[in-house]
Amino acid sequence: MSLRKALVTTAVAWLVLITLGHAWLNLHLFAAKRAGGTDQNKFRIGFLPVTCHLTCPVTDFINKQLYGESIFEPVRFNGWPELKEAHLSGYTPATFILAPMAMALREQGVPIKIVYLGHRDGSAVMVHKDSQIYRMEDLRGKRVAVPNRFSNQRLLIFRALKQAHMSINDIELVEMPPPDMPAALYAKAVDAISSGEPFMGQTELDGYGRVLWLTKDVWPNFISCVLAVHEDMIKNRRDVVQKLVDGIAKSGKWIDQSMEHRMETAQFVSKFYYNQNPRLLTFVLSKPPDRVKYTNLTLRKPDFEEIEELGRESGILKGTARFEDYTDASFVKDESAVQPYAWEPPTK
Amino acid sequence: MSATQTEAAPRARSTMSSRHTQTWLRNPDSAFWKTVRAVGMLALFFTIWGVAVRLSHSDLFPTPGNVLRGIIELAQKGLLFKYIVASLFRVTWGFTLAVLIGVPTGLVLGWYSRAFQAFNPIIQILRPISPIAWIPVAILWFGVTDAAPIFLIFLASVFPITVSAIAAVQNMQPVYLRAAQNFGLSRSELFRQVIFRASLPQIVTGIRIALGVAWLVVVAAEMIAVNSGLGYLIIDARNAGKRYDLVVAGMVMIGFIGLILDLLVRQLEKFDEVRWGYGMRR
Repeated sequence: MSLRKALVTTAVAWLVLITLGHAWLNLHLFAAKRAGGTDQNKFRIGFLPVTCHLTCPVTDFINKQLYGESIFEPVRFNGWPELKEAHLSGYTPATFILAPMAMALREQGVPIKIVYLGHRDGSAVMVHKDSQIYRMEDLRGKRVAVPNRFSNQRLLIFRALKQAHMSINDIELVEMPPPDMPAALYAKAVDAISSGEPFMGQTELDGYGRVLWLTKDVWPNFISCVLAVHEDMIKNRRDVVQKLVDGIAKSGKWIDQSMEHRMETAQFVSKFYYNQNPRLLTFVLSKPPDRVKYTNLTLRKPDFEEIEELGRESGILKGTARFEDYTDASFVKDESAVQPYAWEPPTK
Repeated sequence: MSATQTEAAPRARSTMSSRHTQTWLRNPDSAFWKTVRAVGMLALFFTIWGVAVRLSHSDLFPTPGNVLRGIIELAQKGLLFKYIVASLFRVTWGFTLAVLIGVPTGLVLGWYSRAFQAFNPIIQILRPISPIAWIPVAILWFGVTDAAPIFLIFLASVFPITVSAIAAVQNMQPVYLRAAQNFGLSRSELFRQVIFRASLPQIVTGIRIALGVAWLVVVAAEMIAVNSGLGYLIIDARNAGKRYDLVVAGMVMIGFIGLILDLLVRQLEKFDEVRWGYGMRR
């Protein structure tokens, strides 16, 4: 039985070899158990490599520097659908997510609660530098890319159109994952793109993108992404959620404390979390410094009512969920009392 | 007699070797020319690619040199080996499960026509669904663990194997069955000794196609938030800004490993148990 013998031996040997290799190289199963072994209790937080979710890696990093371990396990995703599905499956009980997406999920009966904002501002509409588009009116009949129908960028465009006395029918909206947007603009496959940073700054940095407007010009204090948790987390592990929100609030304050902190953030987040060239984050966190902000992140009803209204008008929200349903603002009542992390990067 | 032949053979070869060195250049089917044709075409392809990028003045699309540097960079960081192992791990398990489930299922459905009538519609409905469409389901069922991509690879490869096994049994020569009946084989003997062996060549062809498909879907399967693998490398490079050299590096590595996998599976066709089923053109 030459075939059977050769085949079975080879197949079993290969299965064992590749499984051990994967366990050793990628799952680190044979690495010495790190101190404490509290990994079992750590919950996962989903995030994307965008500046809207910057406080997630910053909190993780600073906690590791200060206390040797983090309070949670950050899980990086590459697109909105996967991030949302991982939260729905319970794999990531906490997640950074688009505010209107969280609100729509709540309307559909998902027990999700927004507990804190991720950032303010930090988005833009970019056009090709050779294009003749200088005002919103010039976008008439043009193709504009947004990350997702539930993205605030779509609402932002909606709002800007309204301000220019235009409607959504005057432009052609397409959905596109943010990482693909720079190349699409470069190839002129779309006329304008809008998503979270650093993908907008990237087109500017590489010399083919031009800012049509930054969010802070059209919708000051714009909210795009929020920190949300499963309702059961609040019921059963309130202390953990409190610790998480405190951490996110402290990191936000820490990032905005000084330009040195922002530059340090750009370095360690690019290197250890986003796997991007640090000059990208350096650029978007400094030019201009208020391109994206990480303070003033408590949940305020009027902000969300504005999103609700625009969401209803643009057809992504039904308006059946109220601020009280989809948020729990009790974790940070007074943001001015929050102190930034007391951590300074080691001087090189 | 066979002993004298094997002794005579090396001697004959050594006397012929001088003539061989003269003829291999002239013989267009010698191993040398086969290699020249394959390598030459590859070189031409890479040259055209490089020239096309230069002519188009694209600073986003990488040249072959950029890609090679990208691969070297990944290798130096130790990522290349890790990612290859991760992808092979997922494909190995997804594919192994597909073989373990697909082959017996195919044999049974091929033999029992009533079972075939019952299950065939389901198989034909599930078969054309792309693994990409299964991604949401995979995440909901398995989270973003290794089980999710393994499930997707399993789904993609189980159907070609099952269908080829069904067809192999259905198209089996009736003479084998009659002979088996004459020998009075039991049902399990019939399956193991006759049906399985008679359909093996076709099953191996199905397995070869399925392994190609399994490796093909590795990118799609690793689009789920796993944090390793060649598919992940491509997705990750898209996130990293202008790193299309790494995107293409991932593509090139997937292509080359696919080539190696196919060459390995082809070795199966050399075994006597399989070879009898193929008509050799030469």
